[in-house]
Amino acid sequence: MPDPAAATMDLPRRDARDKLQGRTRYTVDRGGAGTLQAVLLRAEVASARILRLDTAKARSMPGVRAIVTAEDAPGRHGIGIADHPLFATGCVRYDGEPLAAVAAETLEQAEAAAAAIAVELEPLPAVIEMAQALTPDAPLVHPDWRDYEVLLAGAARAGNVAWEATVVRGDVDAAFARADVTIVDSVFRVGRQNHLSFEPRAVVASYEDGRFHIETSTQVPWSVRATTAKLLGIAPSQVRVTVPAVGGGFGLKFDCALEPFAALLARASGRPVKLVNSRREEMLTCLCRENAEIRIRSAVTAEGEIVGREAVVLMDCGAYGGEQIFLTTMTAHTLGGNYRLGAVRLASRAVYTNTAPNGAFRACNGVYNTFALERHTDEICAAIGMDRLAFRRRNVLGDGDLGATGQVFEGDVLGPMLDKMVALRAEKPSRAPRAEGRLHGRASVVGTWFVFVGPSAATVNLNPDGSATLVTSGVEIGSGSMVQALPQIVAAELGLKPEDVVVRTADTDAAGYDVGVGGGRTTVSLGAASTAACVEVRRKMLKVAADMLETAPEDLVLAKGRVEIVGIPGSGVTIAEIAARAQSLTGPISGSGAFTGPGVAAMPGCAAGHFIEALDIPVFAVHDCEVAVDPDTGHVEVLAYTVVQDVGRALNRRAIAGQIQGGVVQGLGYALHEEMSIGPDGRILQSGLETYRVPLAEDVVPVEIHLHEGAPSIGPLGVKGAGEVPILNVGAAIACAVADATGRRVQELPLTPPRVLALLREREGPLELAHIAKDWREKVLG
Amino acid sequence: MTALTVNGEERASRSGPMTPLLDVLREEFFLTGAKAVCREGFCGACTVHLDGEPVASCLVPLGAAAGREVRTVEALAAGGLSRLQQAMEDHDAVQCGMCFPGMLMTLTDFLRHTPAPTRAEVKAALAGNICRCTGYERIVDAALDAARSA
Repeated sequence: MPDPAAATMDLPRRDARDKLQGRTRYTVDRGGAGTLQAVLLRAEVASARILRLDTAKARSMPGVRAIVTAEDAPGRHGIGIADHPLFATGCVRYDGEPLAAVAAETLEQAEAAAAAIAVELEPLPAVIEMAQALTPDAPLVHPDWRDYEVLLAGAARAGNVAWEATVVRGDVDAAFARADVTIVDSVFRVGRQNHLSFEPRAVVASYEDGRFHIETSTQVPWSVRATTAKLLGIAPSQVRVTVPAVGGGFGLKFDCALEPFAALLARASGRPVKLVNSRREEMLTCLCRENAEIRIRSAVTAEGEIVGREAVVLMDCGAYGGEQIFLTTMTAHTLGGNYRLGAVRLASRAVYTNTAPNGAFRACNGVYNTFALERHTDEICAAIGMDRLAFRRRNVLGDGDLGATGQVFEGDVLGPMLDKMVALRAEKPSRAPRAEGRLHGRASVVGTWFVFVGPSAATVNLNPDGSATLVTSGVEIGSGSMVQALPQIVAAELGLKPEDVVVRTADTDAAGYDVGVGGGRTTVSLGAASTAACVEVRRKMLKVAADMLETAPEDLVLAKGRVEIVGIPGSGVTIAEIAARAQSLTGPISGSGAFTGPGVAAMPGCAAGHFIEALDIPVFAVHDCEVAVDPDTGHVEVLAYTVVQDVGRALNRRAIAGQIQGGVVQGLGYALHEEMSIGPDGRILQSGLETYRVPLAEDVVPVEIHLHEGAPSIGPLGVKGAGEVPILNVGAAIACAVADATGRRVQELPLTPPRVLALLREREGPLELAHIAKDWREKVLG
Repeated sequence: MTALTVNGEERASRSGPMTPLLDVLREEFFLTGAKAVCREGFCGACTVHLDGEPVASCLVPLGAAAGREVRTVEALAAGGLSRLQQAMEDHDAVQCGMCFPGMLMTLTDFLRHTPAPTRAEVKAALAGNICRCTGYERIVDAALDAARSA
């Protein structure tokens, strides 16, 4: 076992120089001579029956090489339920749903041909909002929902409720009936957030020797392989997926997207085909962080003990279930997280609407559930007259405490992190004077999220020049895991310099299965698989070295590209010599490693419809922010922002700080001005950057960052993923600070100036969500 | 044919005069450093210099670039990274990297006109360049460092 200090450094990014010179070739920059250009014909109505789709005229237009439709892709895919066909089949379920795909010699020819496809649609009633979708007589987005293939059993489903996951632990009714409790009832609502990755979803596909080669901008090469195969009705082994540098993901590319269209067109035309979403298509059909509606009630004693909690989360999955089906699981660990609870029951429901499907976005529903939970917590504090920090310090999860599903948490993590934040607050004067006549507010909030583990594979080849090649299905999406953390880990394991570790880009023909890059899992899961591969390589190296040096392997150490006899520097041989000798005597040295989540125990029988029942690697964050609210305009300025983040062990502090700054700023956009809205016809109203406002340089502040190390983690060297969680608490921190500044009940995000002004001037009454019943039995299926 | 100078070299384009300069650079001359991100002039990722001034190349028709000098990110490093590029690398500022070609063209011009900027001035100069990954502060740090070392 090498010294963890050998893996800890501020390794620079090896991809920075090319990215700074415009030399990096992302998927959008690829597709050489002879590549056809493709476009999708998309429906422009939210709900309709397809009466006719005639491609005859389009097929004869200049330059057209292939047109494919629903007839060419019979399958359905999904998470939990296979509800999603590649093309609208029989009916259109959302504005923007693909009807046909066209490949031609030029983009203009493809666009012209797509426009010439004759489409006759008969409009059908549409359900746009969840409240409408849940009425007893609502039209069904999927009238045939009962017939779909169920991929994971155990969840309640009915009509427009695509999936319902529940947790019931303890006697909640008894807790709420106690005479000594105050009951606090809160409701919240949030809109969608668009990832706005600078590289849109893009693919170049070819079909050669009976197999597909898909070069694509994705976070999940193996999901692309499996889903493409399922939709095309072929064996997954017929699909090879490779991934160049990805120009931003943030969860958008955690699902198969354009790849099957390009694959079909490549097979039909016999030519490579490039398909890239326009920015407008990305805006209108982005797999957004979903809009959601939340009711949360708690029974709390005067001393601040939470004896009962009940919550319902409605998550808009859009026209197809997608990632939201999985994410229903997470409510148990977010609304049911952070604090010790007595009895608890929680339901999350993914609801079908005739709108563009939603998907995964950095810390997913944790971002708004943390907003809801922390605002609810402040409402509890107000109701029982308890200090907000004191309440949190009293109740945060500690060593041996139970989570909502009965998992036993290890170690005191949130408590010491909160103490650290309190100490940091005391060290510096408040920025209140900088509010300069505006309303000053401050909040410290906590958050619980997880590292998504699951299977990973790695191979390490030792080369005769003393370098090593790491082969995995990992993808570099910008977070640095593949160019910093992984070479640091492998180098430390093998006694090499990180520069001498070659990292192979993802290729499903070369590397074993991997869940994908997301959920903070790359450094953990791929790191653990890489470590396991290195153990085999090191064992083989030391055996060869022991023979060469006529000593026992136990007496040898690896460092600085050499194997030395313990205590005698300069006594040994170089790793290059070992590799060369092994190659001639036994054949080249290589090792393979694998990892998957161990599956932490939960309490049997309390969770239904869940994809995971407990968190293998919980991860915690404490955020503090100060804001100034302009009483005349409703504009919120962030004056200061501080993060204490649980990272397990920091392998590259500088890289982690870059993730935290970037994640917080993406969260500030969500909290303050990134607003996606849906018109009455079901079309998303923000079609570009003119109407969708993301943070600019002048909107942001430098985040003060403190890393909390030493919390338990099964990750290699005790690491936890650090890139996903920085966004988790931001909506909560801003909302609580704005509530503190204004004295108003903040129930919605984003806090755009008009919304803040409406709060300040009490233009609208409090948000009510009448469609989420007060009685638990009326709001769940199961 | 439209004649123009690209990175010091005389070139001729077959594209029509209304073709966005960005597409000519990327599709015809294979200079894929400048990125098509929003195609509306908001994101700044396609910024190039036209006769020394930063412009959104998605909004410049080829005809308007006729006879003029275009400089792209590919020409910033002459025999090694520019001071600004080097500062970006030293600060570990890069993440996904898609915005940097445009950021660098904007900041290179800005630092030429404002050799000793304040932090606020650098941020103001970036009003037309969006970054979705980094949260900006390191890019600003690097620009200030590049100015100091000039």
